[in-house]
Amino acid sequence: MVRAVPPALRVAAVVFVALTAVFLVGPLVVVVGVSLSESQFIAFPPAGLSLRWYDRVLSSEAFLAAGWLSLRLALLVTLSATLVGGAAAIAIHRRRLPGGEVLGALFLSPLVLPTIIYAIGMLMLWSALFGPVSLAALWIGHTVIAAPYVVRTTLAVLADSDPFAEEAARTMGAGRLRRLWLVVLPQCLPGLGAGAFFAFNLSFDEAVLSLFLRRPGLTTLPVQIYGQLEFSPDPSVAAVSSLMIAVTVGLIVVIDRIVGVQKVAST
Amino acid sequence: MRNTVLLSVSAAAALAAAAASAQTITINSFGGRYEEAHRKCVIAPFEAATGAKVQIVTAYSADAFAQLRAQAAAPQFDVIHFSGGQEILGAKEGLLAPIDAASLANAADLVEVARPNLAGGQGPAYSIVALGLVYNSQAIPAPPTAWADLARPEYAGNLVLTDMSNTYGLQGFLMLNQVLGGDMTNIQPGLDAVKTMLDGGAVVVSTSPEIMQEFAQNEAWVAPYSSDYAFTLREAGLPVVFARGAEGTPAVFITANLVANRPNAELALKFIDREISPEAQVCFAGEMRYAPTNLKAELTGAVAEDTPYGAEALGSLLRFDPTVIEANRAAWVEAWNRTIAR
Amino acid sequence: MTDRQESALLLLPGLLLLAGAFLVPILQMLALSVAGPDGGWTLDHFRRFLGDGFYLAVLARTVRLSLVITAICLAVGFPMAYIMARARPRPRVWLIVLVILPLMTSVVVRTFGWMVLLSRSGLVSGLLRDFGLAPRNFALMYTETAIVIGMVQVLLPFMALSILGVILRIDPRIEEAARTMGCSFLRALAAVVLPLSLPGIVAGSLLVFTLSASSFVTPNLLGGPRVQVLAASVWRAVTQTLDWPFAAAQAVILFAGVLAILVPYIRIAGRGHG
Repeated sequence: MVRAVPPALRVAAVVFVALTAVFLVGPLVVVVGVSLSESQFIAFPPAGLSLRWYDRVLSSEAFLAAGWLSLRLALLVTLSATLVGGAAAIAIHRRRLPGGEVLGALFLSPLVLPTIIYAIGMLMLWSALFGPVSLAALWIGHTVIAAPYVVRTTLAVLADSDPFAEEAARTMGAGRLRRLWLVVLPQCLPGLGAGAFFAFNLSFDEAVLSLFLRRPGLTTLPVQIYGQLEFSPDPSVAAVSSLMIAVTVGLIVVIDRIVGVQKVAST
Repeated sequence: MRNTVLLSVSAAAALAAAAASAQTITINSFGGRYEEAHRKCVIAPFEAATGAKVQIVTAYSADAFAQLRAQAAAPQFDVIHFSGGQEILGAKEGLLAPIDAASLANAADLVEVARPNLAGGQGPAYSIVALGLVYNSQAIPAPPTAWADLARPEYAGNLVLTDMSNTYGLQGFLMLNQVLGGDMTNIQPGLDAVKTMLDGGAVVVSTSPEIMQEFAQNEAWVAPYSSDYAFTLREAGLPVVFARGAEGTPAVFITANLVANRPNAELALKFIDREISPEAQVCFAGEMRYAPTNLKAELTGAVAEDTPYGAEALGSLLRFDPTVIEANRAAWVEAWNRTIAR
Repeated sequence: MTDRQESALLLLPGLLLLAGAFLVPILQMLALSVAGPDGGWTLDHFRRFLGDGFYLAVLARTVRLSLVITAICLAVGFPMAYIMARARPRPRVWLIVLVILPLMTSVVVRTFGWMVLLSRSGLVSGLLRDFGLAPRNFALMYTETAIVIGMVQVLLPFMALSILGVILRIDPRIEEAARTMGCSFLRALAAVVLPLSLPGIVAGSLLVFTLSASSFVTPNLLGGPRVQVLAASVWRAVTQTLDWPFAAAQAVILFAGVLAILVPYIRIAGRGHG
């Protein structure tokens, strides 16, 4: 007979989760509070209530265009980083190639260097080879810094997978593609999912590469926020963030209604 | 025969006109309220007058310079604006093109210091930012009147200094250093004073929004900073006053520079010429309280009270030699970092 | 097609991307660190860094803070991941949402949230003073503690989700078996779950450590100019003092410093697991 989890520990767990929640959400509450402020300052608690900063943001063509660009870019990056990083992780995991450990470290290297060094280097190279920067330059740059996340999360999941599943499939005559699709891919799925999520967020919030790889009409949302701050540091930047939070939570609720998030979360 | 010549000439003229109307130039602007003023005072009239299109990249001086240098192989800016003296290094590295003063109709009306080296590639200054003492008139017990007042011990706990990585921070520091007996070859008196202020509780910030935060939320009393930002804070509703220090008012120049290796030099020069015109500068003074560099610019009313203009007033502004700053910047920043490090 | 060819084919896109779009531009940039003024090469930029107590202190602070941040993320992230894994699916979803919510806000704005809370008249500093835990005029803002607080909030999701992915794959029956055989709950956790989740812990720590060592925005805003970290120093050299060779040298040193810690860690972790 298994003894139940001690009640004291259950209480401790609840307290722990509550404290963590306060810690994680505290600054976000501040951001939402600031966005509702009547006054022009970024200050908390807000002075007066008003939706005028939301009005300002939603009627600003610059913010909407930047948001749309960031969204498209993040989706492209999620796709490319997941494909490239996932495939690389599978290959590294199998250890059939020489220098697997070195490869793993190599794929982590874009995270170790300060992004500004990479941004300047990329801008120099791109200008010398292709001239003006473009969405493609941003896409490639973001993929480079997002793929390592996918590699890491996928490798972590694969490390615990059953190494004999693929062997069994082979014995039963499954071809390479079928084995990849039916055995390896499902094994990777949680890692790929987590990696894709990180990739999306990273690209959507990336400000340094986007700051240097830009030209007119190629301004992402974080860069737009950054550019707004110096001369107009008003709560509209908080309103943008609150909208992002709302959209995310809304999206999760919608997915839950349609598919049921339990399925997604329990894979 | 003559007809065909005429025809082809007029066709060529039509083509040229079409090409001109389709022309675009790319510039950087500084975002927020500044960019709105830039649009209103320079860009919109310029587009209306020439039929050309101006594309804007919102980039502060430091970021814009890094981009210019990295893109040397294929620059994207036609006109680039700097407030931190970056034009000196840009001209030295050949990133900026020399300007023939004769190609700018308004160049002759500029105060001398606003066009120190056009032929060498340093573009003209079109705005001057005055530095002084920004203070909260409601919170401060006794308002400062001189730069030396910043060292008053009773201010220290509510004093906001700006990091030297910020142009205004650097210039404000040099001024403080000067009134305390230092000069451009010896910044130790300034560093010693800063050390004392920090020990007394002063904070160091590095960006303008942080200054706003300090005034709006954290009981800041006084900060050595710029007239344009003081105006921004006042417009936002804070009881902030800008006072010129008794020992003098350091000036930061915002310059418009012609980028080398771009096809549209002629149009870009027209744009720069528009920026140094009296109309554009009067407009900028009204929107942002920038001092005009064009001696023909006449200010009136509240704007004239806030903003120095004309030969005499501009002559009284202090300017620390930008070439000396450029030569010493790295060493000064290091000494500063050492002084303020916890 | 052999197995080796198949693996090579899978690896190819990643390698091409890494070589062409990362290594080439980054090496071209890092080469500046040894570029001499007259076209030759020099180690002066490294000497300048390594011979200067100020920069060495910045390096030491960067490493120290990254270690502290990683340790805290692990201490909070592991129990969080375990609770998430053993919660029923619906609460689990909301716990996941809770953990990833900080990632959804722009880093600049989120950091402003902390600035408001940690500044002199902010809620947190005020509470600390009210309870007599801090002197008058005290502010958490512009201290190393502020950097740690801000970074843990951002990086916790990376740790928690990395571990969660692995714990979810541990068969709960193994844990039950341990408990049936007389292990207490905490012992089962320590003897069964912890070792089995090692790959997730390793992956999470790697991400958190490297990200905290190379981050710029949050440490710069929360630490301020008086508490510099290496990535902020690189940023200054690139955009303010415009000394790109020195910026490159600092980046190389950061890279080497992080590797010097990570490589032994991966080795030990790999051995312990394998």
